[in-house]
Amino acid sequence: MTAALRSELLKLRTTRTFLGIVIAALALVGLIGGAMSAAAPFDEIESPGRDLIDVAGLLQPFALVVGILAVSTEFRHGTITPTILAVPNRVRLMLAKLGAHVLAGAALAIPAYALATLLVLIVLPARNVEAALSVGDATEMLAGGIVAVALLAALGVGFGALVRNQVGAVIAGLGWMFVVEPLLTALPTVGPEIETYGLNGSITAVTGSTFGGGSDLSALAGGLLLAGYAAILAAVGVYTLRRRDIG
Amino acid sequence: MGSTVAIEVEGLSKRFGTTLAVDDLSFTVGHGRIVGFLGPNGAGKTTTLRALLGLVRPTAGSTAIEGRPYERLERPLEAVGAVLDGGMFHPGRSGRNHLRSLALAGGIATSRVDELLELVELSDAADRRAGGYSLGMRQRLGLAAALIGDPRVLVLDEPANGLDPQGIRWLRDFLRRLAGEGRAILVSSHVLAEVAQTVDEVVVIHRGRSIEQAPIGELLARRAGGVRVAGPDAGRLADILRADGAAVTVGDDGALAVADRSGEQVGALIAANAIHVAELSAASQSLEEVFFELTADGDDGKASA
Repeated sequence: MTAALRSELLKLRTTRTFLGIVIAALALVGLIGGAMSAAAPFDEIESPGRDLIDVAGLLQPFALVVGILAVSTEFRHGTITPTILAVPNRVRLMLAKLGAHVLAGAALAIPAYALATLLVLIVLPARNVEAALSVGDATEMLAGGIVAVALLAALGVGFGALVRNQVGAVIAGLGWMFVVEPLLTALPTVGPEIETYGLNGSITAVTGSTFGGGSDLSALAGGLLLAGYAAILAAVGVYTLRRRDIG
Repeated sequence: MGSTVAIEVEGLSKRFGTTLAVDDLSFTVGHGRIVGFLGPNGAGKTTTLRALLGLVRPTAGSTAIEGRPYERLERPLEAVGAVLDGGMFHPGRSGRNHLRSLALAGGIATSRVDELLELVELSDAADRRAGGYSLGMRQRLGLAAALIGDPRVLVLDEPANGLDPQGIRWLRDFLRRLAGEGRAILVSSHVLAEVAQTVDEVVVIHRGRSIEQAPIGELLARRAGGVRVAGPDAGRLADILRADGAAVTVGDDGALAVADRSGEQVGALIAANAIHVAELSAASQSLEEVFFELTADGDDGKASA
């Protein structure tokens, strides 16, 4: 198991893709967070600190993509063949990929949240803006944010194993997150349920985000819900990969 | 017994939709043997090899490496190495890192990577991204990947595809050396001549079915040589030759194939009996003709051997 995990971690490190995604995500968080902390008026904002840390949540779609690429890239380049030859037990292979990408998600989230925290600690006081965020709440946000990113990466791994077509899976994953689910929340009756219990709703709850009015769910409930979605997609991904003919 | 048979394919069938790609195929490969797995494109060779390696799920039948299905091998890369078609590496990853990732996954010391790069003459290019490799370099990287676990069995799918004559020769010598070390090698090809000088035995398949499994020497002795005669009096010549004890077969076009007489012997009979012929030629069946004959006749895909 650890052998397969180490191999997956090496694979992540040895193409430019993952590094490129990390750099792009950090640049985005730094740019938006930097501009916001330096220039936003924050007049009517209840907690400038909370909003600023929330900016690190911008990397969530990046984490989803990192996860989706785990299996779909192997199919795209045909490396799935040597990979399965080395680890013929496909359940073990998927567990290794899930583990590696949860760690990759954390590797993506930790510097981004650290950066956002630094902005709260350095730029806001320099401007005499009150962060209005307790250490306890901040800790909860950081932990929730990192967990959300790691779980999104895991969810992506399952989804990429299910869809397999690299470009299609990325478009479908991001499309669900940014287009389809938001549209569904406008439906009568089920709309509000989807808003609360859908993918985005669970992310809002676990991260403690207040954009769009926050969530009725607790952070723990949101985390469990997101973990549930990730587990379902991982299970479906494993099932599909096990049945699939390679080549 | 399981330890003496390197590869065993037993009653293997694989259906893709309505196509039966492999149809009740059985053969074995012993340790230390090089077996050519031959058939025209689309005969089911790749599907068979992929089923053997646990990549394709059989519709029926079973496959085993040293007595076990691939998925149940304890240390698969030390049992089998495979070179299959279709990329097999990420263009943005260096050859060295590709091999390292496989070594890690297979629980093999990464010091083996440098040895292999040396062996396949890729050391100089090892740290370049594999997407920039020439075709020959890619093939050699594939071979290095197959050999990473120093496997006892090698499976190669059309390894000579796209190689120049020099590359084919390099490959041939390389395979000979590997077999000399006691490894079993199953190598597929759609061109018999490519492997004829390398293999000990051949398994010929056509439309997913086995139509021949024999030592290469036996196959050639049985199939090659003879004289071909055509013309208006061919039928009379056939009677005379048969009376003389020759093995004569009459083709669809009325031409004779005489397996065990030289051109001179047949020519003497023609002259002595004043037979009118239009054509007399040495059949000198090439390897390709043998192969073509094996795989072309019979619409049911089952040739009489």
